[in-house]
Amino acid sequence: MNLANLKPGEHGKITKMGAMGPLKRRLMDMGVLVGEKVKVEKIAPLGDPIEVTIKNYNLSLRKKEAEGIEVEVVK
Amino acid sequence: MRTQKNADCGLRIADLKSEIANPKSEIKTITVAVAGNPNSGKSTLINAIAGTRLYVGNWPGVTVEKKSALFEYEGTNIKLVDLPGTYSLSPYTQEEIIARDYLVHEKPDVIVNVVDATNLERNLYLTVQLLELGIPVVIALNIYDEAEKKGYKIDTKAMEKILGVEVIPTVATKKMGLDNLLKAITNITNSVSMHRPKKLNYGSDIESSVSIVEKQIQNSYSQLSEKYPLRWLAFKLMERDSHVMEEINIENQSFIEEATRHLKKAHGEDMESIMADARYAVAAGLTREVLKKPEFKKMELTEKIDKIVLNRFLGIPIFLAAMWLVFKLTFDVSAPFGDWIDAMTAGPFRRWAEVILGFAHAPAWTASLATDGIIAGVGFVLVFVPVIFAMMFFITFLEGSGYMARAAFVMDRAMHSMGLHGKSFIPMLLGFGCNVPAVYATRVLENPRDKALTSLLIPLMSCGARLPVYVVFIGAFFTAYVGTVLWSLYVMGIALAVLMGIIFKRTLFKGESPMFIMELPPYRMPSFRSLMIHTWEKGKHFLIKAGTYILAVSILVWFLLNLPWGVEHKKDSYLGKMGQVIAPVLAPLGFGNWEAASSLVSGLIAKEIVVGTMGEIYVQKAADENKETPTLTEDLKEMGTSFAGAVKDSAANLISTFGMASLSSKESTEETKERTPLRDVIKGQFTPLTAYAFITFVLLYMPCIVVAIAMRQEFGTWKWFGIAFAYQMVLAWVVAFVIYQGGRLLGLG
Repeated sequence: MNLANLKPGEHGKITKMGAMGPLKRRLMDMGVLVGEKVKVEKIAPLGDPIEVTIKNYNLSLRKKEAEGIEVEVVK
Repeated sequence: MRTQKNADCGLRIADLKSEIANPKSEIKTITVAVAGNPNSGKSTLINAIAGTRLYVGNWPGVTVEKKSALFEYEGTNIKLVDLPGTYSLSPYTQEEIIARDYLVHEKPDVIVNVVDATNLERNLYLTVQLLELGIPVVIALNIYDEAEKKGYKIDTKAMEKILGVEVIPTVATKKMGLDNLLKAITNITNSVSMHRPKKLNYGSDIESSVSIVEKQIQNSYSQLSEKYPLRWLAFKLMERDSHVMEEINIENQSFIEEATRHLKKAHGEDMESIMADARYAVAAGLTREVLKKPEFKKMELTEKIDKIVLNRFLGIPIFLAAMWLVFKLTFDVSAPFGDWIDAMTAGPFRRWAEVILGFAHAPAWTASLATDGIIAGVGFVLVFVPVIFAMMFFITFLEGSGYMARAAFVMDRAMHSMGLHGKSFIPMLLGFGCNVPAVYATRVLENPRDKALTSLLIPLMSCGARLPVYVVFIGAFFTAYVGTVLWSLYVMGIALAVLMGIIFKRTLFKGESPMFIMELPPYRMPSFRSLMIHTWEKGKHFLIKAGTYILAVSILVWFLLNLPWGVEHKKDSYLGKMGQVIAPVLAPLGFGNWEAASSLVSGLIAKEIVVGTMGEIYVQKAADENKETPTLTEDLKEMGTSFAGAVKDSAANLISTFGMASLSSKESTEETKERTPLRDVIKGQFTPLTAYAFITFVLLYMPCIVVAIAMRQEFGTWKWFGIAFAYQMVLAWVVAFVIYQGGRLLGLG
């Protein structure tokens, strides 16, 4: 299960960061860390990118970037 | 300087004497670097403090804007340097490298860290990294009013205690807390040693590793510990920070590996991730301790707006409506002022120059140079000023309000398919009005690759200056299909931009496309003062920097057109001669004559000039106008009333934009029905097929000189203009060739 699989309104908890190098560092700098809770808010009208809430702010990222972030669904 | 002073003892004694007599002369100058996240209100804060004293330039070697200001506050000279807004100090983005290089190498006396009080944790992540540098820090806890409104309670005293820095609540948009902030800054410099920030504890395992690395650096590389903040350098070595590693180039790195091995093993991660985790852990812990939030969160305004603005069905229509509005406002509000400037330089200023030169008995060629070259050139520069002001105003508004990020979010998928970023849409759209502000608008893109690719494609957006050329030819040949022919040109430009985008993505810009990790900041009303300062800076910059270039080029073109002095026929001028040389190249496109070729060359200045040159070449000049020359007072009166007219028109356009009434399309169809002598001549010189090939060529060939200068200014190199020039020439030739030869094969010629 990765972040791109979550539907709008669903919550998840990050279990693993699959990204590498600059992308991983950038995501971590933005607060996308293992153990962090994340909620998918919206999908853009054209289907990509997605908007998530993390660390109490709103972040958008492309699905391809979200695919590298493993999550478990949190009810 | 110093050695000179030392040599001259007399001077030193005199200096000392005056210092004793006047203690004020020992004014200290301190350097203050301002750091903070994007959207933390940093630039509003800088504008509020420094205002018009801001000096805008570039960071050396890159095109990232550098703002600085020098002013006096209570007996201290403060040199303020605005660092690029960053979320972190990683070695990956241009902005981050600039910020850290400045902090490490220039060693400012104080760092002012602007922190968004409504988004404490993520902002403190940067604070934590700044504290590693050991430079005194003052935190401006900005947007404090919004945090209070949300019911946040922030214990600033506790924050000060934990971090060892002063924390000053500020509201930059209302100029609140700025005095306290400046006081805190000057206090620090009076007793630096007391204001060293605390060493934050990253956990015992990391701390023991870092102290080992620190010791090693001190023992084996003592020269480095003088140059760099020790703790910071130790962390960078542990993280194997590519930028620092390259800079210091140490041979034996095994001690780093030894010191970090157990950490990597215990965490099962690379050191960079371990450190990011540790820093966020500190930021999160700190946030927990100082921030009390209300238990129930209200649905916030931003959420409510986004529910509509980013809605699956409404998102795109709202986006398109917003873009239409920005486009209309930018061009409609500025157009009357541009026209006014145009009329003034072509009318009164020109006449006055003629009169003055007449009195001075200047030779005819100097009069021509002064009026056709210099005054026309100055007018040409000034005409762009209103539209650049208007563009900057609306772009800054979009960015400051938070909608820019939403526009990128909505459009990213479509733009990404051509290798662009969602934000590229806005500069591209502005290109339909004028490519010049469009190129300047690429500054909304942070990534240099996105900026360059967008700028390369902008000239394919058919700008307003090309319309007069279309109008003349459509009027001569296609009066029955005005709409269709015009539409086909605009669509062709867009289709070719998509095609070229895909080609460039796979060739020139091969490799990973930049990431799209973007904050969607809360909607906020940008302060009017900040908007005006930004707009003014940009307009001024254009006038001074671009203006000089444009003026020089327009004088050069005057020489081309008129030299050798006294030519009777345009064919014998340099321009005519150039046309004769180029004509054979254009022959396969159906318009291989010197007249067409010369007109196309003159289009380098601005594409609408193609029509003007054609008029001069094809149509014998009408007999001297017998108009009476107005007097000076009449001229002045005219200037005043027509400026008032421009203000009125601009306001009327503003109103009609919101009233959704557009007159422009009606006007252009009327224009196409008019009969002009040029149109009659063109009818004899072109066929419908060659005419269509010609206007296609005008659509696609080389960007005009002002676009070239805008590209030079934005990128600091002629490279991108060179590429645009080359590919557009080839593209225009190929497309016109296909149209003409294809048409002939189909029996249309």
